[in-house]
Amino acid sequence: MARIVTPTAFDAIDPKKRVRNVALTFLAVGVGVLVLYLLEGIGSTKLVQALALFAIWGVATVSLNLINGTLGILSLGHHGFMLIGGYTTGLLMLDEAARQRILTSARSTMTEETLALSVSNLLRGFGLEALTTPETLWVRFLIAIFLGGLLAAFAGLLVGTPSLRLRGDYLAIVTFGFGEIIRLTASTRLFSAYTNGALGFPGVTSEFGKSIWWTFGALAFTVFVISKLKYSSYGRAMQAIREDEIAAQAMGVNVAYHKVLGFVISAFFAGVAGGLWVSWLGGVRLDFFLFQLTFFFLVAISAGGTGSITGVLLGTAVVVFVRQYGDPLEESYSIQTWLYIASATLALAAAGAVLFRTLRRLRPRLHWGSWVLVGGAAAAALVAAVDPAVIEGTFRGFGMRAIFLSVLLIVIMVFRPDGMLGRTEFSWSWFLREQRTGPTDEERTQDAWLSNPAFGSEAGRAAAREQELAEDDTDAPEGSDDEGRR
Amino acid sequence: MAMLEVERLRKSFGGLTATNDVGFHVDQGEIVSIIGPNGAGKSTVFNLITGVYRPDAGDVRFEGTSIVGKSTNQVVDLGIARTFQNLRLFTNLTVLENVLISQHHRLRSNWLSAVFRTPSYRRQERAMREVATEKLGFFGPRLQSFRLHQPVYVLSYANRRRTEMARAMATGAKLLLLDEPSAGMNPKETSEITQIIRRMRDEGGYTIVVVEHKMNLVGEISDRVIVLDYGQKIAEGAYRDVVNDPKVIEAYLGKKAGDDKREELADG
Repeated sequence: MARIVTPTAFDAIDPKKRVRNVALTFLAVGVGVLVLYLLEGIGSTKLVQALALFAIWGVATVSLNLINGTLGILSLGHHGFMLIGGYTTGLLMLDEAARQRILTSARSTMTEETLALSVSNLLRGFGLEALTTPETLWVRFLIAIFLGGLLAAFAGLLVGTPSLRLRGDYLAIVTFGFGEIIRLTASTRLFSAYTNGALGFPGVTSEFGKSIWWTFGALAFTVFVISKLKYSSYGRAMQAIREDEIAAQAMGVNVAYHKVLGFVISAFFAGVAGGLWVSWLGGVRLDFFLFQLTFFFLVAISAGGTGSITGVLLGTAVVVFVRQYGDPLEESYSIQTWLYIASATLALAAAGAVLFRTLRRLRPRLHWGSWVLVGGAAAAALVAAVDPAVIEGTFRGFGMRAIFLSVLLIVIMVFRPDGMLGRTEFSWSWFLREQRTGPTDEERTQDAWLSNPAFGSEAGRAAAREQELAEDDTDAPEGSDDEGRR
Repeated sequence: MAMLEVERLRKSFGGLTATNDVGFHVDQGEIVSIIGPNGAGKSTVFNLITGVYRPDAGDVRFEGTSIVGKSTNQVVDLGIARTFQNLRLFTNLTVLENVLISQHHRLRSNWLSAVFRTPSYRRQERAMREVATEKLGFFGPRLQSFRLHQPVYVLSYANRRRTEMARAMATGAKLLLLDEPSAGMNPKETSEITQIIRRMRDEGGYTIVVVEHKMNLVGEISDRVIVLDYGQKIAEGAYRDVVNDPKVIEAYLGKKAGDDKREELADG
């Protein structure tokens, strides 16, 4: 007989599995640290730089996703927040030699006062001479990056406040405008004493931005804070705003406060990412902070999965890989080679289409479109093979990286509109074959209860049994009656 | 003293007067129904009480203090919660999360202690979960155990209505405004909702205002019935008296064709 389901199951996963998952996560982090250590030792400089860039952009995308994925607001001004953090860190960390060079340069617009702004001078002001030695550079970098984050967070407060009155596309335009305003204001005479106008300044230490440990440390901290926030009561309230703003307000959520909170936290981490980005590049210039940057982050978020932190990191990895290792795409090749590449791409597309139609059980398996692709591939290969004399010359694929990323994004959006991971986070159960096939015992008991709620209590069950017995007599003639009618 | 007092409430949208000098009161522990034909201004009254709209004139007092001009979430803080006529659940979130969100406004930890999971935050989170299952328990075991972790979009329509009612109860409100709690439910589910609303008052201690179209439900649960028509209160009293009121019958069924003509002639 149906057992009453007691209301005790608070946790979505069973505590034993949770312990196992935490253990596996720690193990994975340990292995990850070991792999990073080995890569730093044996990997090429290029690889180390690519990994550092992944971590820096990871900080930016994960924080942007707090607004875009969790709060549900399309924000296009992330590069503006990064610029604030970047310029602050850059100026505060500029080394003495670079300061002297800028001061003596005729084209520079920076003054002696603004060039005196540095963490070293700040610490000297507090009488902390011990922290101004070259060995303690990391302390100064931490302070600079924190101050950069704070300034960016303040800008987030300014952007977040008008966002309270706007929704959807209108708000996206406002955030985009804010990002551009920040960039253009930085180049005006008003601020050029701090930013050196369009020239910017080289000479920011690369010791941290190109170090795997610093960048991955920042990424780990960001992921920790943002994921803990997302799975706290505050994160739930933010997701409620994403789902239905009116209902969230009607359930007591202070929508204005949570929106601004999201903007401020996100902007803080954007500022930190900006500081690391400047350090990775080794200098500050306005064109390091174009809208293109935010565009790359959005591609990473959309490709990886809005609302999933692990998905966003996966998307970032793809984007950074294409950016750092996509040079072969943009090199100069003979037109014959390009034709072969085109032929191979078309053939692959045709194969992909056939595979897709087979997996989805669509008929006919060979759609006429696939034949067109195959035909195109054959034609291109034929032209390339038969008459190389006609097609002499070379062609350089400028911008192929961006085109490749765009095509990748289109393909992902067509086949998985929610991104590679969608809203789901990475879970260990994917590897441990924990897919469900049938209903659980719990579900069976509830089904039994739903078909007759009277079975819920002991007394009710007894009553139901009696009733069944009593009805047995009356049921019989009715049944025969039905049969008679048929 | 009345728990909720509504005085000469007026709101117009452009040329349309949605409510015109509506006034009523709700006592502690009462179940009051507001009925009326479509477009009578029932939902507008709810929106005026909960601060979605600001009244053009009149006053709303909750436990003696005026709540006109307060924002919707401040009204919830004071102790008035509502459900919506066309379900406004957070569909991509789970049942449990939905019911936890409505308790968020009572959380006494800032976001940093939530991020670092301080003991005080953990304690509150556990308490919130207990309240959530208690409120969902009003509807029997059907929203318990594994259902807690199912996203709302997989639930049946009736279960979504139940979740929304549990969510409103979990806000910690004393006064619940239910906007058509039985809309779209079959007779069996409607009679269950009738029982639930009674139990919400008797066991939960809530005071309840219901907007409803199903007259048998209204008749069974209401201590008092208020009838609105074209934004005006046309009757108030016990269900039996109200449904026999000629003005109410006229509002629902209209006048005889002859009556209208006679009136026109008289006007002319």
